[in-house]
Amino acid sequence: MTRTRNTFLVIMITLALSGWPPVFGQAETGPDSAELDTLAQLYDAVAFDHAAHVEMVEGNCARCHHHTTGVAPTNPKCLRCHPGGQEADSMACKDCHSEKRFESAYLAEIAANTDRFHTDIPGLKGAYHRNCLGCHQESGGPTGCADCHARNEKGDAFFSSGKYAPKSPQKTSGH
Amino acid sequence: MNQLVKQGFSPVVSHRKKDGSAWTVKEKIFLGLTPGDYFSEQFRNPFNWILAVIYAVGLPIIIGRFIYGLGWVTHSSYDYPWGLFLGFGLFTMVPLSASGFMMGTTVELFGRSDFKPIERLGLLNGLLGYLFAVVFLQVDLGQPWRLIYPMFVSLGPAAVLFLVAWHVATYLSCQIAELVPAFAEWMGLPRAKKFIKSIVLGLTIAGIILSTLHQGALGGLFTYAPGKIHPLWYSSPFQWFHFLCSAIFAGLSMLIVVSTLCKWFMRWRCDENFLNSLDRLTLGIAKGAALALITYLAIKLIAVAHDNEWQYIFTGWGQWFLLEITIGVIVPLILFTMAIRNDSADLARLGAFIAVLGIVLNRLNTALIAFNWNLYQDIPHWREVVICITVYSTYIVVYRAILARMPILYTWKE
Amino acid sequence: MKKLNRRFFLKGGMAGTALLADTGLAKKASAADTFGGYPDSMGVLVDFTKCVGCRSCEAACNKEQGLPAPDKPFDYMSVFDERHKGQKRRTTEKAYTVVNRYNIKDREQGPVFRKFQCNHCNEPACLTSCFVNAYTKTKEGAVIYDPTVCVGCRTCMIACPFYVPAYSYSNPINPVIKKCIMCYDTRLKFGRPPACVEACPQEVMTFGKRKDLIKLGHNRIQKNPEKYIDHLYGEKEVGGTAWMYMSDVPFEELGFNTHLGEQPIISYVKEFLTIVPMVLTIWPALFTGFYLLANRKEAFKNEKPSGNE
Repeated sequence: MTRTRNTFLVIMITLALSGWPPVFGQAETGPDSAELDTLAQLYDAVAFDHAAHVEMVEGNCARCHHHTTGVAPTNPKCLRCHPGGQEADSMACKDCHSEKRFESAYLAEIAANTDRFHTDIPGLKGAYHRNCLGCHQESGGPTGCADCHARNEKGDAFFSSGKYAPKSPQKTSGH
Repeated sequence: MNQLVKQGFSPVVSHRKKDGSAWTVKEKIFLGLTPGDYFSEQFRNPFNWILAVIYAVGLPIIIGRFIYGLGWVTHSSYDYPWGLFLGFGLFTMVPLSASGFMMGTTVELFGRSDFKPIERLGLLNGLLGYLFAVVFLQVDLGQPWRLIYPMFVSLGPAAVLFLVAWHVATYLSCQIAELVPAFAEWMGLPRAKKFIKSIVLGLTIAGIILSTLHQGALGGLFTYAPGKIHPLWYSSPFQWFHFLCSAIFAGLSMLIVVSTLCKWFMRWRCDENFLNSLDRLTLGIAKGAALALITYLAIKLIAVAHDNEWQYIFTGWGQWFLLEITIGVIVPLILFTMAIRNDSADLARLGAFIAVLGIVLNRLNTALIAFNWNLYQDIPHWREVVICITVYSTYIVVYRAILARMPILYTWKE
Repeated sequence: MKKLNRRFFLKGGMAGTALLADTGLAKKASAADTFGGYPDSMGVLVDFTKCVGCRSCEAACNKEQGLPAPDKPFDYMSVFDERHKGQKRRTTEKAYTVVNRYNIKDREQGPVFRKFQCNHCNEPACLTSCFVNAYTKTKEGAVIYDPTVCVGCRTCMIACPFYVPAYSYSNPINPVIKKCIMCYDTRLKFGRPPACVEACPQEVMTFGKRKDLIKLGHNRIQKNPEKYIDHLYGEKEVGGTAWMYMSDVPFEELGFNTHLGEQPIISYVKEFLTIVPMVLTIWPALFTGFYLLANRKEAFKNEKPSGNE
């Protein structure tokens, strides 16, 4: 039983970018849209309007992609090593932000590689949420969970909500 | 009963009836009365009617506690895991029962045989207090049937409560043994009495060790909660000594209170030896209690000074603390001193009564009132109060039943 | 108590006592032999600046631990306004972790959300206070317990400085202590993080070896000194805890007890525990001596004819 529960949690957190074309020729503007869907266990896939977001950041890809697109990052600390102008091998989120942030293999790799500077980077799910939600909070974008990804039935069960909501509120134990 | 005795009835004091035949155990249980007379006597006693009312309300609630769980009788507080059952039942019953080891020590160890008339009352007060502290504990434990777990199933010897459990258990056995002579006399088992006589010094010293440790350990239990208990009631180095030292005067005061109640309400059962020496003994005990009180007062103030808590004295908590010290320590101390100077046992009795109330206040303060002092106050559930009253009533009933029968207040005539 | 009070003094800004307090602490620390925790034990670093209060961790905990259905759905944010006797929500027999909202004055980003669960102390007060030895501190860092031996004395609830353990009062047959076990049975044992850590969309929590997390936390503070309070709560509190916290607002504003001191709770109890062997060994001889002294006269009186004592 726990196994199933674990599996769907793992799946829930491993937000993969399926349909993200690894074609770097498009790097200037990126794909028009992308589907972020591995949260599908609890949430429906996010229909991400990349083009609209490119417009919103006025072409400053570094706003989301840090230094990877070759655009100089905004954070002066990052600028010291990533001054801009140099496109990274990959600009897909998941190539730096591990989907397996909390798996022991990843933890061991981080611990073993003493040369590595970025030892404290968020996993893929964290990167998405912090990046999107952080910006949405600042710029007044939607911030509710279901504003970006509709919750499915499994999600309702997970949150004991919707048709899985507790029927009659039991008497809570005192404190 | 007092009336019956006035009319010429004499309760059992030896194995032989006036006509020379032996009392049967059944007759001894009915105090030498016929069952009919005995029960009509019980019905006549107004105190029994009060008890009947208490049981009518209390027994169903005690049964309910075991059917519906602790959540039904308490507020199920996670912040106040200990309520009245322990705050009152355990933490005040135990110090008030310290009279057992005090009287044992005085008579058997220091050879003060002049205290002999009240020794057994002291021992019985000790035994019953502990017994009912355990009853209270059993009401409070989530799974009372696992009480033996710390003894035999899964041992946590580094925990203070482990010490309490073992010491209270062994001390209970110790006290039962110390009271075997009274039971043996009543039942007519001279060999049992003789055996206990031969080991009484060992029992007494064991009693001192175990009492020192578990009275102290009850204080030690609270050292687990620095910051939760108000600093004025908390002292890491002295907590155990506060509890031990206050238990000494608490036990002695309780003995004075109980002996006074016996003198008033169970006069028929007291013999001349007890009644005639009681005033003198009361003053003697008051002397001991006064010494303990002044030691306690000093060490209490030293604890405040040691942790430099004078700042708290001027807060509301400080005033509450001073009130407790005044009622529970200074007033009894003054009354005891005046009693000893003026040779007035009644003054000592008043002092003892106040000291008992003071110790109840102190233990409730430590366990409940000053506990979580920076969180919120928890007022116990009414069912919790009812259960406490019911269990305490049972304590009184058992106490009274034993006093009425066994040679505690009177001397058995062989 | 000494340390606690000195802490209060410090707060009051009495600089003179600060020096005293430090020397006192140092002496205490060397006197008591404390257990610093297993070297490779795991921990969790919680960064409150990232929490958005979605309560996914509460839901994940509920499912992972097979706890009863909550009173309200996990997506109800109204629970943040619940108060019980003036207190925010705490851990209960039905919830091993809760998130609370703290409205901080003049904080641009709005309120701070604080996740709360067992801190898994290096030297747990609950463990040391348990008279049936139900608790275990595993080498992985979790403080777990064996409910089959729990008697229900609730001393661990008294002892826990964080008010974590709850009790299933409502169960008359088998009431036991209930608290977070860091998902030891299902996850931690296999090197995986607790369910709440994985469920968090914001990755508020970082899972790793405790000693690495301390470095990482300080590193994070060092890189963003303007953002974080320069303190890892739990690094040293009551002897160190497996769960540690970083915040951009002072910890006391998030309901943390900042007066706990750095000594594990057991060090306050040791003062009593040391007298136990003394009483056990000294009392018998001492009081036998008293007996002999007190009864000397009588012995002489009674036994003069035979001439021996």
